[in-house]
Amino acid sequence: MGNSNTAAAPAPAAVNSDRGWRALFAQLLRTRHGSLGAGILIVMALVALMAGMIAPFDPLQQTQTSLSPPTAEYLFGTDNIGRDVFSQVVYGARSSLFVGLGAALAALLVGGTIGILAGYFQGPVEAVLMRVVELFQTLPVIILVLCAVALFGSNFWLLIAAVALAIWPMEARLVYGQYIKLRDREFIAAARVADLSTAHIMFREILPNAIQPVIVQVALDASIAILIEAGLGFLGLSDPDMVSWGRLLFVAQDYMDSAWWMSLFPGAAICLAVVGLNLFADGLNEVIDPRSGGATGGLQ
Amino acid sequence: MLRFVGRRALYAIPLLFAIVVLMFSMLHLIPGDPVQALVGDYPVPPAYRAAIEEKYRLNDPFLVQVSNYLVNIAQGDFGFSYQNQRAVLDLILERAPRTILLASVSFGLAIPLGMLIGILTGTTRRPGVDKFWTTTALIAYAIPTFWLGQLFVMFFALRLGWFPTQGIGPLVSRAQGFAWLMEKLRYLALPVLAFGIHEGMRIARIMRASVVDTLSQGYIITARAKGLSRGQIIRGHVLRNSSLPLVTIAGYAFGSALGGAVLLETVFTWPGLGLLLVDSIRLRDNMTVVGVVIFSAVAVVVMNLVVDLLYAALDPRIRTMG
Repeated sequence: MGNSNTAAAPAPAAVNSDRGWRALFAQLLRTRHGSLGAGILIVMALVALMAGMIAPFDPLQQTQTSLSPPTAEYLFGTDNIGRDVFSQVVYGARSSLFVGLGAALAALLVGGTIGILAGYFQGPVEAVLMRVVELFQTLPVIILVLCAVALFGSNFWLLIAAVALAIWPMEARLVYGQYIKLRDREFIAAARVADLSTAHIMFREILPNAIQPVIVQVALDASIAILIEAGLGFLGLSDPDMVSWGRLLFVAQDYMDSAWWMSLFPGAAICLAVVGLNLFADGLNEVIDPRSGGATGGLQ
Repeated sequence: MLRFVGRRALYAIPLLFAIVVLMFSMLHLIPGDPVQALVGDYPVPPAYRAAIEEKYRLNDPFLVQVSNYLVNIAQGDFGFSYQNQRAVLDLILERAPRTILLASVSFGLAIPLGMLIGILTGTTRRPGVDKFWTTTALIAYAIPTFWLGQLFVMFFALRLGWFPTQGIGPLVSRAQGFAWLMEKLRYLALPVLAFGIHEGMRIARIMRASVVDTLSQGYIITARAKGLSRGQIIRGHVLRNSSLPLVTIAGYAFGSALGGAVLLETVFTWPGLGLLLVDSIRLRDNMTVVGVVIFSAVAVVVMNLVVDLLYAALDPRIRTMG
């Protein structure tokens, strides 16, 4: 990553117009992974948005029967105090998807900014910023988030910030790598000669050319964020007023001997969301960088 | 080579220093009151509060506390856990071997498993095999380890009764020799399986990508032109060259695991560092929290150093560059 690429290749066509994005999405839907991933994500987003219409019960409302196994009325059974697990899983999609997306975007903002600054400016700025990134990468992620949440509380927005805290260094490294690769290319030198402003070069010249792998990383980050959110919920550290899949598993931990359904369905929901995001990222990668994608290697 | 090691080691010191200061600053921002946490839900007598504050020097200025703490750490004193009424270092030394055992056995399973699947899927001529394992790895990687742990407990421990549901051993054990080992293994089996499968699938994904990349290199074509057999090429060229990215990622993951597999240890009530950290956070036992975090950071830094050395050993180009 550290070597600068001075090859005189022309700047690749950047996807910066509205039509470019639409074409990209259409291409994405033509890949097998991409269409499957996008399908899963769209269904999940719809479930989260229309939770009130889909869930037969209020997720916090106690029904007549506690610890009921799955039946026609309670599709996923009921929990220890009689809440309908299906309704909880449906409402839980909101918390997980929101934290996943929010944390990934926050990480993009923070990591992206730092990556751009470190990648564009050489010398001390680069050195200091990359040492900070390294510091955050040295601490084990879950421990970092755990301490942050334990210290500052589990308010919903703080939760997003804490999860973002864990994933921004990856984003920073990637953007940084893209920038040092591009900063010595000829079209950038040309822009300097043309006396364009630093901000213009950073955001209008380099950014469009650097952004594609970053988008893939955002999708992967969102999947990691969902896993971290689930982990925090499982430790009982998520916002107690929000229904979340991780929190359902935290409650299920005490009823493993009597209610397998309390653990099975929320966990499966987490898996589905993470698989969906990973497939989506795979598909994107395939479209952006056709060499990498589903190409099967094979030693003949 | 020795200079290379020395430079990397020196590099780790400011990093550790920064981590200690960062952790200490974070702890200072907490709203909670450690004296109150110590007493519980009772009013604190002023005289007692004064005595505690005096004893643990809670009222010193922030910088004085940090520098005192750094000096103490340098002397091997990680402070005192007033929740456990024991020295933090004792607690860590008691818990660490259990976490190291869990992590080592899990990675001992995960690394060969992942490499095998990665090489198989990367080199296979049958797309069906590749597709099957790639899909399996994708799904297995999406499963949170703690949920996999719950499923294992519900199925293998509660339904089939093959393994204990939690802990590291029976309260009283008279088993010796081989029987003792088998007993330990029964307790290890489920957490290791959950951890090993997750990490193994991650390694498999990285290994596959790396193998595919290696296969596109010119020297593979040369090797084939020389008439080497499939097995010879895989053993002689693919295996070693594809392992480099694996060393970095597995090394970092192992380092993190040494700091405590927090979620997994919670599922199985495995009394290692991870569980100690979670309990200490709940009880606001700050000295212990900082101690465990520093320990995990050291584990990661040391593992990164080991990774660098392994890298240099595997790839001579790195040695000559440094």
